Amino acid sequence: MNATVATTVFGVFMLLTVALGLLAARGHGRGGGITEWSVGGRSLGTVFVWVLMAGEGYTSFSYLGAAGWGYNFGAPVLYVVAYLSCGYAIGYLVGPTLWSYARRHGLVSITDMVAHRYGRPWLGALVAVLATICLLPYIQLQITGMGVVVSTISYGAISLDQAYFIGFAVTTGFVVISGLRGSAWVSVLKDVLVIGTLGFLAVYVPLHYFGGYGPFLHRLTAEKPQWLTLSGHGGSGLGRTWFITTSFLNSLTVVIFPTTVAGYLGARSANALRRNAIALPFYNVLLYVPMLLGMAALFIVPSLTGAGSNLALFKLVVDSLPAWAVGVVGVAGALSSIVPMAVFMLVIGTMWGRSVLGAVPALAGSPERQRLAAQAVVVAAGTLALVLTYTRPDTLVRLSLISYEGMAQLVPMVLLGLVWRKLTLWGALGGLLAGGALVCFLVFTGRDPVWGVNAGALALGVNLLVALAVSWLGPQPADDRPDSEVLARDPGPAEAVVSGPV
Amino acid sequence: MLKTLKLTTLKKRPAVLWLLVPYVLYLGALPLADRIHPTALGLPFLFWWLLLATLLTPAAVFLLYRSDRKRGRV
Repeated sequence: MNATVATTVFGVFMLLTVALGLLAARGHGRGGGITEWSVGGRSLGTVFVWVLMAGEGYTSFSYLGAAGWGYNFGAPVLYVVAYLSCGYAIGYLVGPTLWSYARRHGLVSITDMVAHRYGRPWLGALVAVLATICLLPYIQLQITGMGVVVSTISYGAISLDQAYFIGFAVTTGFVVISGLRGSAWVSVLKDVLVIGTLGFLAVYVPLHYFGGYGPFLHRLTAEKPQWLTLSGHGGSGLGRTWFITTSFLNSLTVVIFPTTVAGYLGARSANALRRNAIALPFYNVLLYVPMLLGMAALFIVPSLTGAGSNLALFKLVVDSLPAWAVGVVGVAGALSSIVPMAVFMLVIGTMWGRSVLGAVPALAGSPERQRLAAQAVVVAAGTLALVLTYTRPDTLVRLSLISYEGMAQLVPMVLLGLVWRKLTLWGALGGLLAGGALVCFLVFTGRDPVWGVNAGALALGVNLLVALAVSWLGPQPADDRPDSEVLARDPGPAEAVVSGPV
Repeated sequence: MLKTLKLTTLKKRPAVLWLLVPYVLYLGALPLADRIHPTALGLPFLFWWLLLATLLTPAAVFLLYRSDRKRGRV
């Protein structure tokens, strides 16, 4: 009975999601080429950009990993709030800068930007391949996240393998057709459900189990003090140095993360992004809920271990709520996988459609064909991630850290390169390869964190040194374009008022 | 060149420094805030501190935005 109710609620909402995603494309479907599909025709206002970027930032990690980290370690999980807030804040400068650069030169992704900045199409293709390697585990992460949520809230009626496929099918079902605009529309549904359910759980769970926040927090400080400061419980090695270096590194990375950039480029105006930078950090308040409830689960389901701890929050939900409410919370959790997954697939499609396959003569100069190629890549990337999920399942958080630390190595090439002409092609590339190699070495040999420092942050330092040294001492590629053509800048009022699809 | 670029930005637009606020609150002050006591309403100090930072970050960005608007920068 419970299973039927919860599964029905879930099924109805999944159909609604696909319908909403497809509706978004109405009237915008044809003629816009890759710009319409990849960045919504650069037409989203402040509210849509907020909804979309909040939607991207609040992934299945927030429901599962955040609760699981809270359960296993406690305080270290707060790094998520720290880096997102810092990153959203500097997005005030970075967002409009990237937005205006992309708009002036008709670019749709960071791979496009580096190809333009350094005047080498093959560099765009190379970055697209590297970024895809970092993003694929993320799609897999969303698929597995969605799987455990759906199978838990359906009381086991939907198996993990079935749930993985549903996640893939629903996401692909709308993103292939309606691109970024569809993701933004689905984000509206998602944000309403996430804010509603987490707001409710934040009040309900402490009341239901402890008789209120006072008794809950009292018990927490009295019985679980190791969880409440760094480096948390259980000798995690996640101390203050780790917290600071990780948050710093991730705050720089999140502003050039391809999915964030897709949100930036979708904006209608630079001011929409600036207002967004003010409003976005508020969303982070919601992140405290799964973290605290993850710790509440310590008292209620004390014996979760390994990957099971990721279910800390959902165990409480299933244990304490009626089936229909379990279904609704499950939908919110599932949408927290679907929206980010859609945007991940979208940016992989965009990068390949424009920067890799776009270099093929038959596609060059044809935005319509590039869009078709991008849509084909979306299906291929999603399928690959799904197959990997079936054949090589893995734990949640570790993978996402590797992705982030790898993606972080693009920061000098993209961010520094766009404002500093003297960073040369070979400098940027040398730094990227050195930093990327170091990340792989440290992470895959189990040396992360290294001396308490986030391995990606250390690698970024090496990356930067190599980039500067090679730029200074290495060959100087000839490029006689003026600075105004090559570099990006934070746009002033004159540029901000221009609008309309470009 | 990079240094001069940054310095001219700062001279023309000193309000950009508001963006350092989250970095100072979350990261700079972390060693001082990393403690359980004093608690308020039962919530450990570290959690309060980071919650405060989460609410002050938008305020800091807003102050930059206001300054930019006043100067006709955006």
